[in-house]
Amino acid sequence: MTTVVEAIGLKKTYMLGKVPVEALRGINLKVEKGDFVAILGPSGSGKSTLLNMFGALDKPTVGKILIEGIDVSTLNDNQLADLRRNVGFVFQFFNLIPRLSARENVELAMSIAGAGKNDRRKQAEQLLETVGLKDRMGHKPSELSGGEQQRVAIARALANDPKFLIMDEPTGNIDSKTAADIVELIKRLNEEHEATIILVTHDARMAAKAKRTVQMLDGAIVRELRN
Amino acid sequence: MRTSDIFSYAFSAIRLRKLRAGLTTLGVVIGIAAIVALLSLGQGFQDAITAQFQKGFATNTLIVSPRGLQGESSYQLFVNDTKTIEGIQSVTSAVPILQKTVYAKVGERTFLVNVAGVNFSQYINVFSSTFVAQDGSILSNPENESLVIGARIHDPWQNGTTVANVGDSVVINWTIVGADFKRENKTYTGQVVAVLGEVGGFSLGGPSDLGIYIPIQWAEHFFSSSEVNSIIVQLKDSEDSTIEATSDAIRSAFGGQVSVTSSTAVLSTIETIFSVIELFLAGIAGISLLVAGIGIMNIMIVSLMERTREIGILKALGMKGRTVLLIFLGEAIIIGLLGAAIGIGLGLGLAEVVARVGFAAMGQSTGGAGIRRGAAVNQSMSLTISPVLTPSVFVGAFTFGLLVSVVFALYPAWRASKLKPVDALRYE
Repeated sequence: MTTVVEAIGLKKTYMLGKVPVEALRGINLKVEKGDFVAILGPSGSGKSTLLNMFGALDKPTVGKILIEGIDVSTLNDNQLADLRRNVGFVFQFFNLIPRLSARENVELAMSIAGAGKNDRRKQAEQLLETVGLKDRMGHKPSELSGGEQQRVAIARALANDPKFLIMDEPTGNIDSKTAADIVELIKRLNEEHEATIILVTHDARMAAKAKRTVQMLDGAIVRELRN
Repeated sequence: MRTSDIFSYAFSAIRLRKLRAGLTTLGVVIGIAAIVALLSLGQGFQDAITAQFQKGFATNTLIVSPRGLQGESSYQLFVNDTKTIEGIQSVTSAVPILQKTVYAKVGERTFLVNVAGVNFSQYINVFSSTFVAQDGSILSNPENESLVIGARIHDPWQNGTTVANVGDSVVINWTIVGADFKRENKTYTGQVVAVLGEVGGFSLGGPSDLGIYIPIQWAEHFFSSSEVNSIIVQLKDSEDSTIEATSDAIRSAFGGQVSVTSSTAVLSTIETIFSVIELFLAGIAGISLLVAGIGIMNIMIVSLMERTREIGILKALGMKGRTVLLIFLGEAIIIGLLGAAIGIGLGLGLAEVVARVGFAAMGQSTGGAGIRRGAAVNQSMSLTISPVLTPSVFVGAFTFGLLVSVVFALYPAWRASKLKPVDALRYE
């Protein structure tokens, strides 16, 4: 199995005012292709910080993040931006661009990567169909329910055919009934489309679907389970 | 990201806040409109004056007059001084102009006008395009009582209500103040033999719409003086070297007591004055554009804060800092282009309105008053001005509008491009 992303001796220290806060205290974690990892833990345990590192949004204070063997800390801002195009992000609060329609939001990710108009449209429509939003493509985020918005966000994350998906509490802001559908969708992406998924969740049902669960506490991994 | 995509994204951001973008654009519009209106009016004004000037004063003519302001000079030029000038090489003729401000009774009305004594045949020769009879005829050997009147003496209100026509008589009153302050009133009656066509504008030594022209011999006799105000000198060509050499020769012939004005010199002076005035006006208008630029910067900084999260999303999706910069600059470019385009149109429209309403009113008032009061200055302001947008002003206004917009957007755009994705995404 090929390693998609790997954390080696990862430490992150923030300055909260003048007080240093150790968000991560030495994380070692390897994610293989096709993996589905759920990171669990109470708030403040460093889950989101770790996720940001995996997504090349943030750099570690000590240690390394290797994405497909490349050390992220050696990259400049432009190279990091290029790298992020190979990572699909899904956020708790969807983070869609409000003035763009569902289809345009998905297209935006592709246009950032330099795709042409026709390719973008075709791909976006296909992806929105995959996530079950075939009939809602022209709607703006404000016209969509939470679950639908998250589906758009998932379609957007898949837009550039990413190496892996990073999801920060994807069901955290959705009612439980809709959340179950999202959980199924994510599970299906992993099983049918062989998407590599790393997600942070508080949702027990979500964690149950993952192939691996990683329990974090105070910036360290305290338990790892393989389902 | 493709350039067209960058612009369409920038445009979608502008469209979201139409009022705000509109007001920001308005700032640019006003600045550019002010610049274009002032410069195109200035250019039109300059063109009109230059055209008038060239019409009334050929390039191969010089004006010789006593040094200093009229009346202040102790030096005097006389009719027979033309002989001295005619003796100079490359001078073809010298036309003395004996001019006084008099009361002239024309029909029922009395006007304060300039009466100029000139040799009709010589004067026609020099001012062949303006000293032309519209009505009647100008004889080269006129009788003493002949009068040639300007178009505005004939028809003061320019509405067909004529007060003097060919064949009418005009009574000229002239008061001589003697050395002992004794006043002697002289009256002379002349017959209108010709009405000049409309000259317009002002002329330097040439015929004026408010002038009355009489044969020089009569003027000498009537005014009991052969002191002339100026002598118009016609040269055999209009080469700069000829003008210069002849000017020098005339000056030295009169011991440096006369000033010699050439039309080219006056034209270049006019152009210099205008370019300074235009620069000054454009500078003032430019300030308003700078204010607009500050407005752009202000709005961009506000927009930057509002859109911090959006920038975070874009960066998380893999957008480079450079592209974020370009999106912000793209918004400024769209505002700048739009503002410049509307501004140029509005500026031209404004200039047109000012030219039609403003200058027309000015021409009316000064022209009208001129007849009754101040025809002493041999000019009226009834210039027709049409604003001229030169290609350089057009391009300059566009460039300046765009430049100001982009320059003031640089700082907010740069700040946007430097936002860290993690911080931007966390921003509420």
